Amino acid sequence: MMSPQEEQEKLMEEALGVVKTQSLQMKRCLDKGKLMDGLKHASNMLSELRTSLLSPKCYYELYMAISDEMRHLELYLVDEFQKGRRVADLYELVQYAGNIVPRLYLLITVGVVYIKSNELSRKDILKDLVEMCRGVQHPLRGLFLRNYLLQCTKNVLPDVVQEVASETDTGTVQDSIDFILLNFAEMNKLWVRMQHQGHTRDREKREQERRELRILVGTNLVRLSQLECIDIELYKKSVLAEILEQVVSCRDAIAQEYLMECIIQVFPDEYHLQTLSNFLRACADLHPDVNVKNIIIALIDRLAMFANKEEGTGIPSDIQLFDIFSQQIAQVIQSRQDMPPEDIVSLQVALVNLALKCYKDRTDYVDKVLETTEDIFNGLNLDHLESSSAVSRELMKLMKIPIDSYNDMITVLKLEHFGPLFEYFDFSARKLMSQYIINNCVENETKIPTQEQVDAILSLVSVLVQDQSDQPDEEEDAEDFAEEQGLMGRFIHLMYADDADQQYLVLNTARKHFGNGGNRRLRHTLPPVVFAAYKLAFRFKEIKDEDDKWEKKCQKIFQFCHQTITALIKAEMAELPLRLYLLGAVAAGQIGFENYETVAYEFLSQAFSLYEEEISDSKSQLAAISLIIGTLERMVCFTEENHEPLRTQCALAASKLLKKPDQSRGVSICAHLFWSGQLKDAEKGDSSEIRDGKRVMECLKKSLRIANQCMDASVQVQLFVEILNHYLYFYEKGNPEITVQVLNQVIDKIREDLPNLEATEETEQINKHFMNTLEHLRLRQDSPEAEGPSYEGLRL
Amino acid sequence: MSHCTLCSCFAVAEEAGSSFFGFGQSAEIDVVLDGQDTRKTAEIKTEDGKKERHYLYFDGETVSGQVNITLKRPGTKLEHQGIKIEFIGQIELYYDRGNHHEFTSLVKELARPGDLTQNACYDFEFVQVEKPYESYTGANVRLRYFLRVTVVRRLTDVIKEKDIIVHTLSQYPEMNNSIKMEVGIEDCLHIEFEYNKSKYHLKDVIVGKIYFLLVRIKIKHMEIQIIKRETTGTGPNTFNENETIAKYEIMDGAPVRGESIPIRLFLSGYELTPTMRDINKKFSVRYYLNLVLVDEEERRYFKQQEITVFRKADKFRKPIQNATAMFKRNSPQQPQCLASCQTAMAQEDSDTSQNKSPLHDPE
Repeated sequence: MMSPQEEQEKLMEEALGVVKTQSLQMKRCLDKGKLMDGLKHASNMLSELRTSLLSPKCYYELYMAISDEMRHLELYLVDEFQKGRRVADLYELVQYAGNIVPRLYLLITVGVVYIKSNELSRKDILKDLVEMCRGVQHPLRGLFLRNYLLQCTKNVLPDVVQEVASETDTGTVQDSIDFILLNFAEMNKLWVRMQHQGHTRDREKREQERRELRILVGTNLVRLSQLECIDIELYKKSVLAEILEQVVSCRDAIAQEYLMECIIQVFPDEYHLQTLSNFLRACADLHPDVNVKNIIIALIDRLAMFANKEEGTGIPSDIQLFDIFSQQIAQVIQSRQDMPPEDIVSLQVALVNLALKCYKDRTDYVDKVLETTEDIFNGLNLDHLESSSAVSRELMKLMKIPIDSYNDMITVLKLEHFGPLFEYFDFSARKLMSQYIINNCVENETKIPTQEQVDAILSLVSVLVQDQSDQPDEEEDAEDFAEEQGLMGRFIHLMYADDADQQYLVLNTARKHFGNGGNRRLRHTLPPVVFAAYKLAFRFKEIKDEDDKWEKKCQKIFQFCHQTITALIKAEMAELPLRLYLLGAVAAGQIGFENYETVAYEFLSQAFSLYEEEISDSKSQLAAISLIIGTLERMVCFTEENHEPLRTQCALAASKLLKKPDQSRGVSICAHLFWSGQLKDAEKGDSSEIRDGKRVMECLKKSLRIANQCMDASVQVQLFVEILNHYLYFYEKGNPEITVQVLNQVIDKIREDLPNLEATEETEQINKHFMNTLEHLRLRQDSPEAEGPSYEGLRL
Repeated sequence: MSHCTLCSCFAVAEEAGSSFFGFGQSAEIDVVLDGQDTRKTAEIKTEDGKKERHYLYFDGETVSGQVNITLKRPGTKLEHQGIKIEFIGQIELYYDRGNHHEFTSLVKELARPGDLTQNACYDFEFVQVEKPYESYTGANVRLRYFLRVTVVRRLTDVIKEKDIIVHTLSQYPEMNNSIKMEVGIEDCLHIEFEYNKSKYHLKDVIVGKIYFLLVRIKIKHMEIQIIKRETTGTGPNTFNENETIAKYEIMDGAPVRGESIPIRLFLSGYELTPTMRDINKKFSVRYYLNLVLVDEEERRYFKQQEITVFRKADKFRKPIQNATAMFKRNSPQQPQCLASCQTAMAQEDSDTSQNKSPLHDPE
């Protein structure tokens, strides 16, 4: 048993074998001038095309081989008539062939030579040929025969508007049109007929085969498009109308889909522009299975491209391209009740593309499409489109287009029907779209300058701002969530008005929206708001000469910040608000508006309360107190009245840390408060460092004492080294309480304990730290600074 | 003087024999027709299928010329009982060899009984001879015209026959309607066919079309045949001989309703004769166009329509040489198909006794 493929190969081989021998004999006879015998062999060769056994693919191959050979015959015949042979006799002679398939191939071949020999006969012969081809009703054989007709007549079709007066039978372009249109109609009939032959179970295979053959039918349209005398009027009246009539009446989905696309591709855009309504009306009449959407989209894409061509003239102003498409698409949608909603939306996508490509400035067009879409959804009672559904995907595509093409959400927000359409998405689609919008803003650095716009955009992307009524139950991935909210954080910095007052309103609006975000979101969204607010306060300071109410406004901003930070505390956060308070204190201190000391004090004391009440983890405590101490140390706005309780509180807090090493470190850091902490002189208005050497010494001694109490020897030594560094710092700064003797004591102690430590990596590090410290001292000793303290007597 | 044809045949043989034995005088007879140089010739088949070429005459034309008698041995006399020439038109039925039916027989005496001492030459003329029928060679019958010169002798006559060919010319018929008919098998196949004329001359073209009104069968192809039916004899002894002169495929594949298939068949390439009806009550030759549709199960549906073929007096035209032979098909399995078809059709059409045509005519 042979497989079907092997069988085909075998058949092909046999057929091609016959073609080879017969064509060889044909050529031999022709060379000897034996025309009759030559024709006989040509006929034998052509008889191979009578087969019903070959697949379309193989038949095509065979056809190509044979038509190649037929060219020899044609050339010979052309030569013969130039020598004076009467072609009319030949035209009759070949018609004696008993079988119709070889007969018609021969007739076409001779007919074309006839035309070439005598143009006067052209019109009649063309007509005769295309009529006679009706005799082949077998789809495959008929299609190829008529394709042969089309190929052979390619260069002899009349292409003049009017006949030359003396030659009345040469024909005009109208004759060519009639010829091709008839051939086209017949080929299309044959092609459609293939669909209805054979068993239903072979349908897929059949459709595949039909698709392989479609180019044969399409060639007719190509040929029409190559006639130069077809102007727009002729095209409209004689060509397109007839083609569409044929396409619509064949009621075959495959044919309609292909041919409509074919029309779009082969004829020039200028013609399409003038016949849009006709073409689109035909679209409404196509078979329900036809994907009309693809056809219309193809046309729109072509025209959009045409409109944007650099050398082109663009869309003529008298053609309301958008309106025509808009109306006709509505017509198509209405005439196809069962059109899937995703296809409807696809059409709208195409329409928006058209509007954007051809009428860049007409945002109203885009809005109109969105409105239409909304109406359609309303009509269809669609709601909460599943994000996995095709219609949802299409709608997303539709809505991304204005975002992408404007690259400016402010313009998008002007589209009245953009927002309402958002509501048709389900949760995850809304989320995707919202992220898309925000990303677009971030990437394009689109500034959102008014509170109305902020309100609008945050309402739009509310899925990113607050919990939704259709929020799914399961928690989303923490990392994704953080990323999403991080994006929102970045977005907040784009909410920027050039006018500072306006900016305040913007931030307030944002705050209101983000305030509803729930604990999970607040931590991501409120801090940027607070940062933006601090920044705004600095802006007010910059413009204080232009705005006499700036101090009040700053106060208000700090109140706003205070409130916002409090909201974070309520959301059960501590370390973050603590830091924000500290930052606020620094900012207030730097801006220096009315009452700023009070504000700064308030912020710092709030930080303290948070420290005391909310931070329990010892590591966090140490970190927090270090920050508070660091902040206070930098502050320059406090008078003794306010500074004293704060620094005392710091020292107290440090000494109350739970773990000894923490205590030791905390206390030693505190020492700096008493040295470089700054006090403001209420009267003079400037500030100076405290430099209370005694208190510094006390702190360091206390730190040393606490370190001594540590049980872990390695930690102890580490602390000693750190404390030594503190001592050295203050020694260098010129604290008189610290002497070389004191330093020697600490160094000795370290030297004593260090060798007893186990040799670990940690020990190694401590040792290194110590050695570096000594190295530093040695350098100092060798080349003392002029004004620095003396290092004499230091035992290194 | 009535000469038995059998004897004359015998005599020809005798003549040859006599010269062979070198016994007595003998002569050669040669008939030279007037205007031989300009007279057209025509071809005709002989009984054994070979082709012969003879001079062509038409009805009412005078047949004249010269008879030359050449003595084989100059100087020796040839004694004869008289010399005559006959113009004969006769019909030969092959199954009845003994009886040739002469429908024309004219005699002219060329010489009274006497002696021929030297070569002689006689003019003859049959003025405006009636030649009512066309020369014809068929399967069972032959119609021929010839001149016969007889030198009557005591023992064996010297005889010479010379065939001529007669073509009957017809005026272009005044009435020549097209043949148009709607035929079909109920709920199965309905077609309308049209041939542009009912009478065609020998070089004519049949133009027509088949229009499909209803197609419920899977047609594979359709062809037009030209069938020649030669009828000989009368009454119970009637013989019909059918010959398919042309088989011409006009459609490949299955049409659907509404299709119209063109027909164009050039006749000049085929070996046709004019239609002959009841020639001298001996035979007829009629032509039929047979439209045959074959379906995918090799069932055949056909409809025969008689056409009249006539010879038109036209200007000379070089015939297309041998065109049909060139494209002759090589699938001779047709009779078998026909038989199977006729049985199949019997079920579909009970009234086959009268009308052998399976496509019955719905009026």
